[in-house]
This record gives sequence, structure tokens and C-alpha cells, in this order.
Amino acid sequence: MVAIDIEHLSKKFGDFTALSDVSIDVQPKEFVTLLGPSGCGKTTLLKLISGFLEPTDGVIKIGGLDVTHVPPEKRDTALCFQSYALFPHLTVKENLEFGPRQKKVSSSERKARIDDVSEKLDLTAQLDKLPNQLSGGQQQRVSLGRALTMRPSVILFDEPLSNLDAKLRDQVRIEIRRIQKEYGLTAIYVTHDQAEALSMSDRIVVLNDGRVEQVDSPEQLYYAPKTRFVADFIGDANIFPGEVVGAISNGLWQVETGIGSFSVTALEAPKTKSVSLCWRPESAIIDTSGIKAKVVHRAFQGHFTDLIVETNETSYRVQTKRTDAQEGDIIQFLVSPDEVILLDKDT
Amino acid sequence: MTLRRGLLIIGLLTPGLGLILALIGTVVYIAVSQSFGFYSLNGISEFSTEFWSKMVGRKIFKRSIQYSIYIGVLSAIFSVALAYPLAIWLRKPFAGSNLIGAILKAPLLVHGLVAAFLFVNVISYHGILNQFMQWLGIWSEPRRLQNDPNAYSVLILQTWKNMPFALLLLTGAVQSISDDVLDAARDLGAGKWDRFRRVIAPLTISSMQAAMVIIFIGAVADFSFQVIAGPTNKQSLSQLMVSFKGRGDWHSAAVVGVSLMMIALVGSAILAAVARIIMRGRIK
Amino acid sequence: MTMEQLNKILLISLLLICAIWLIIPFTMAVLWSLVDPSEPWTADKVLPPVISLYRWVDMWENSSLKSALIASYTLAPSAAILSLLLAMPTSFALGRLKFPGRELAKMLCLLPLVVPAFITAIFFTSLLYQLGLSSWRPGAILFAHAVLFMPFAIRIMTVSFEQVRQDHIDAARNLGASHWARFKVAYLPALKPGIFATLLIVFIQSIEEFAIAFIVGSPDIVTIPTLLYAALGQDYVRPNAAVLSLILVVPNVILMLILERLLRSANPTLSSGKG
Repeated sequence: MVAIDIEHLSKKFGDFTALSDVSIDVQPKEFVTLLGPSGCGKTTLLKLISGFLEPTDGVIKIGGLDVTHVPPEKRDTALCFQSYALFPHLTVKENLEFGPRQKKVSSSERKARIDDVSEKLDLTAQLDKLPNQLSGGQQQRVSLGRALTMRPSVILFDEPLSNLDAKLRDQVRIEIRRIQKEYGLTAIYVTHDQAEALSMSDRIVVLNDGRVEQVDSPEQLYYAPKTRFVADFIGDANIFPGEVVGAISNGLWQVETGIGSFSVTALEAPKTKSVSLCWRPESAIIDTSGIKAKVVHRAFQGHFTDLIVETNETSYRVQTKRTDAQEGDIIQFLVSPDEVILLDKDT
Repeated sequence: MTLRRGLLIIGLLTPGLGLILALIGTVVYIAVSQSFGFYSLNGISEFSTEFWSKMVGRKIFKRSIQYSIYIGVLSAIFSVALAYPLAIWLRKPFAGSNLIGAILKAPLLVHGLVAAFLFVNVISYHGILNQFMQWLGIWSEPRRLQNDPNAYSVLILQTWKNMPFALLLLTGAVQSISDDVLDAARDLGAGKWDRFRRVIAPLTISSMQAAMVIIFIGAVADFSFQVIAGPTNKQSLSQLMVSFKGRGDWHSAAVVGVSLMMIALVGSAILAAVARIIMRGRIK
Repeated sequence: MTMEQLNKILLISLLLICAIWLIIPFTMAVLWSLVDPSEPWTADKVLPPVISLYRWVDMWENSSLKSALIASYTLAPSAAILSLLLAMPTSFALGRLKFPGRELAKMLCLLPLVVPAFITAIFFTSLLYQLGLSSWRPGAILFAHAVLFMPFAIRIMTVSFEQVRQDHIDAARNLGASHWARFKVAYLPALKPGIFATLLIVFIQSIEEFAIAFIVGSPDIVTIPTLLYAALGQDYVRPNAAVLSLILVVPNVILMLILERLLRSANPTLSSGKG
């Protein structure tokens, strides 16, 4: 049985459409991230799943039960807020206890859950402190612990790491994933940080302007983006319009673009003659044959060199481990056909 | 701190704080002294506990104490109990919330005496309330509602006048609770009542206590409402005090006055503590 | 039922309650004040049979209304100015100087609000008798009002003084300004809204004040509240009481609205604790 089933969900605020026709299935124990730029609708979607907003259209089912019109206090979801939202007048222990007490869990079971969570999250020494006596990282963990003691079917995260400094963020990222796996929870995670999404998720839902662009594993999204937006949003991409010239062999096509000719592997024949093709800057291999480009800007980054190059007055990006190219030089490079991606044209 | 600076500070504080302390201090001092027989204005001044012992034995004194406390406590409770749901309702702005807020706070602008008059006018024997009830057919003849023995009129007036004040204090407190905290409570399974009891009440307790204490002190010491709309067979402590003074019996007036002050102080402390215990479940 | 529907229902019921709570009482008062004595307004008629300004004119000419108005409206501004002047040095100290016990001092300034009005009134009168000053009534009331309402003045002016920027003062000093010039340029702009607010609040409080005016003032000095009290007591003539009530309330409402506008446009941290 699917853990979360979202069917044709839409949300309108007056004239403004925040989400339109979103349909997603989430499997049990899966870690799914909702990723997208500000205003794409990911927070709205999270609020719909947690029950703080009611959809204009569509159905949400959790664990097979239709919860579309069920208020948050009755849904089996637990939310970790961006601001942590700890109860300022309660100690850490009382904060952790809040949810189970509401559910009328017996006091021995409550104690067991609190002991378990505080041990796993290293909060045992903090149990009698008030939230204002804790550091940011500790507050984050209490917020997580508070959701965990509920033993919810679904745990939801609303950009929980955005208030932490960079070093702490890495640590907590790993911790959250570890806890999620240990407890076997289904998790929905909202972030605008693609590095976070790529490193933590089983699958990512990429949203743009209220619509789902693509739902796939991080690897698939990176190596096989379906739309221009996804190609551009996740990692860097050089995108060029082009014309399909013809087939070179079975599964290999030649496409002519403004900067030169590319060979593309594609399982199916391209549907139209006009296509958009894209490749990642790090896919370029410096070679004596291949496309000529003039280096316009060079930035040494340590493990690679970032080059902005120009061909036929079009500038784009190339990343290489070689450090001999200087500004003003002409370089030549190839891209392996497997690493050239054909995008849906109307993106 | 140098002597010069110390003198400067004292000098600056004198016309303001100094006068306040002088006035209030003297007033309290005279009240206490007169209650013990000193500073007699029409007779000999000498220490005596006679006035206290006589007064404590008087039935009218005991009844006044009970009555004033009854008014004070109920006014405070009603005002705050009414103000809380309104403050919570008005927490987030919505269409018309400013208008409602202004209307609810309007009684703050109305003088106590005027309020008493307006009220008495409405409930008078031939007043509009009587006429309305007869027109509806609920009553067959006008009823005498004024000066009722249970002091409902006074309680209504006190609540009418004080609820806006409690609303003012509680609105600020309730709005200072972040949305996220309330959403978190909801997410963890707390319905409306639980959210109030376990999150809103504990976080707004000092405003609630301030409101209750101030309203209690004002209501316990009420004179105007009592005299105009109150029961005729009971007297509030202020009323009693003024009547003693009017008869020239300053010492008895002082006894009542000092008692009133003590009741106001002790009563406020008890009320605040009880409120805290009920709302928080423990003293912290 | 959604939040929006619930809000609408509550809004309508509240407006209904407000009609009962505010509009009806006031309408009754206005109607009663307009009753002409030629035809009394009896229970069987919904509206007064004859409406005129008779009561208003009569009160103006024949009763103590004139002297009460004069008394109230000279007492109030004087009390306001006196209160402000007395409060300034203390507010300056509390707002700009640091000294041990400052917080305690701030709390002690609120004392007059804690002692019930009638106790202050009666024993202040006793004090006057003791000191033999009982003939100096108007001055006594003025003094009492000024001190009684000083907590408001001190609180507002302290906040105002805290708002004065040190760099403005320093700049003025740097440019060689005398004490007075410094005050004018660096202090006054920040203090102005507070000064207006203080004057307004003490004015309003003084106009409305009843206990002291009644106990200390009667029978010689009549203010509008004491006149209203008398009108509600033995000589209960309903229309007269209605007239007095309106005279007391309407200017008050207007002044409070002005105050609200003033406070909103000035510093939002200035609070009066009223309205």
C-alpha cells in the first residue's frame, strides 16, 4: 500500500494558483524531497499534506485513508518547523511529551519513547532545560525529537536546516537521514537547496510555478532531466537549441547547434526536427578535435577549473581538470554522446 | 556613585516621584493613624484600638467586606473570562476585526457615572428593556430591575467597563505568541481547548494576572456603580467609608479605609496566585 | 463550517450585541435629553412626543452647569500642565540616567494607581483639615489631580526621554550650543509627541475624575462629574442627567480619538494604558 497518495491536487488563493494538478505517490519508508525555487508551491504542498490548508481540488490519502478534509490535529502526520516552534514555557522533556500526552499514551510508554528519542538525538543532558537555554542545533534536535515521539506515519520537514550555520547543516543532514532510516519513517522534506535534496533523498519532486516538473531519483534527475527547468535547476547545464540532421547509426543521432555539431544517444527517435539539447559543463573533454571555443574567463577552483568560453558569440561553461587553458586561448573539446541530453522541446 | 551625582538624582526625582511618595505616603499614614485614634478632627487624639474593635463587631462592616469582595472577585473573573475568547478570536486580523476591536474597546471612553446612568435608564421601570420584553410578550407587566439585591446590575456594569481593559492587555499577550507555536500544538494533536489550556494560557499568564489584579482593586473599591445601580440593603466598603466621613466619624471611616486597602492588597495577591495555579498547574 | 463562515456569524452577532451594548443606551440618552417638559415621555410612546432643546438651554441658564463647565475646563488644563512640569525632572532621570534602584523607582511611580481613589480622596481631605488648608479647595484639587495622574506623565515622558538620541545631543554640544539651545534642538523634537500625549491624557483624566472632586470639592466646587452625580441622586431628573452625560462623554470621545491618532502617528511605543 502506498504511504501517501496525492491525486490531482490544486490550491488557489483567490485568483492566484499556488498548485495545479499535482499527483504523487510516496512509498512507505521513502524519503521524498519537494524541491524548487521560492514561490514554486512546495511549502503550500507541505501544508496541504499536514492539513493546515485545504485543497481547492483533489484528494490526499495517507495510509489508504482519505484525509483531504481532516484537520491537522487528527492527521497522523508530524511537522518539523523551520523556526523549530518549541513551546517556550515547557522543558525539553515536556516538549517531547506533548504529542504523546495528547494521544493519551500511557506514562510508561511515554517515558520509553522519550528515553529512546533523547538517546538517539543526544538530548539526555538537556531534558530539564528550557528552549531558550539551548543552542540552535539542540533546538533543532528537540524539534525533530518532538515529531518522533509521536511515532507518526508520515514525518514532514519544512526547511529545517535553513537557520543553522553551514557546518552544522551537514551534520544534521546526516543525522536526519539516519534517524529516518532507523525508525523506518516515511518522510517529506521541503528545501530550496538542491545539494541537500540530492544528498538526502530517495526521490525528488521538482516543482516550478505550482506544477510538477519531474519526479525521479537524484541520479535520474541529474543525468536525465526531462525539462529545461530541471536541467538548469539541478546542477549546471549548457542548453542549446538545435536541428536534428540525421541518424548516424542505430540509437545515435547528429544534431546541429549554433556552436557546432553534437552526437546524441537516444533510445527513441526525436519526435521533432527542432530540439533542445543540453550537457553538463564537466562533461566536456579537452581534445585536439572537437568544438572550438575561446576562453573568456578562467576561475581555478582547486579540484577543477571553471571556464567561461565563447563560440560564435554564444557563451557557455566548461569545467575541466586541466589547468593549462588561459584567458584568450582557444580550446577544443568533445562531449561524449551518452552525456548529451535531449530535452522536451516545449520547455 | 559620587555624592554630587546622588544629590542630583534625588533632586530630579523629588518633584515627581518625591511628591507621589509624599502624597500617597501621607494619605496612607493618616488613614492608619486615624484608624487608631490619632489626628482626631473633633475630639482628643489618643491611641485607641476602640474603633477597630467596635467596627469588627458591626454586622454592616462584615457584610460590606463580603459584598465588596464578592463584587471584586466576580468582576475580575467575568471580565477576564469574556476577554480571553475575544482576544483569541481577534488574534489574526480579518475583515472587520479592527471595527470589532474598536467597538469592544469603546466602554473605556465612557465615564463610570455615565455608564451607570445609561444602564439604569435602559432597565428602568418604564425603560426600553421592560417595553421590549412586554412587546415580545414574555412579560405581562413591567418589572422592577433596578437596584436588585444580588447586585447583577453592578456586576454587569463592572464587566461592561472592565472587559475592554482586560481585552487590551490580553490582546497584546495573545498576539505575541507565534503562529508556528500554535500550529505545532495543533500538529501534535491539540484541539482548541487544549491549545488554550496548554499553550495560550501559560504564555499569557502575566497579562491575565495584571488584568485581574487591576480590575479587582477597582471593583472592590467601587463607589459610583454601587450608589447608582447597586442594592439598597448592602453597602460597598467605599460607600461605607464615605458615609462615616459624612457623619464626621473620621476614625471609623479610617478603619474602613485601611481595611479596604488591606483587602485590595491581600485579595490581589491571592487572586494572582490562584490564577497562576489553575492555569499553570503548579507555581513557578 | 469554515473559519470564514464562523467569522461572519460571530461578526454579525457581535454587531447585534454592540447595538444593544452601545447604540441603544446612547440613543436613549440623546432622546431623553431632547424631551420637552410640556409633554412627558411616558411608557406607551416609542419616541418622545415633543422634542426640543429645552433641557439643554434650561441647564445652561439655570443650573450650575456653567460653573461646572468652567471649573472642569480650567482645572483640567492646569492639572495637565502642572503634572507635566512636575514629571519632567523625574522622567529625565529615569529615562537618561543610570542609578541603582531605577527599576524600583519606576514601579513606585505607579503607586497612585494602586491606592483606591476614594481612600486617597478622603484622607487627603483629612490631611487638608489637619494642615488647616481646608479653605484652599481649588488649589488642593489641582494639586491632587496633578500628582494623582503623574504616573501617566512620568511613564510617557520617560519613554520619550529614552528616545532622545545621544548623537544629537553630542552634535549640538560639539557645535557649541548652550544648555537651552541644546534642549531645543536635540531634546524637544523627540519629546514633542510625548508632551502632547501627556497633556491630553492628564486633561482627559482630570475632566473625568470624580472621587477627589466630590470629596474634596463639595459642596463649593462643582465639576461636571459631581454635577452628574448630584443629578442622579436626590434631584433625579432624567433629562438633565441625560444632558450631563452627553456633555461628559462626547468631548471625551473626540479627545480620545485625537489622542489615538497622535499616538499612532508618533511613536508606537508610547502607551497610555487607556484606549
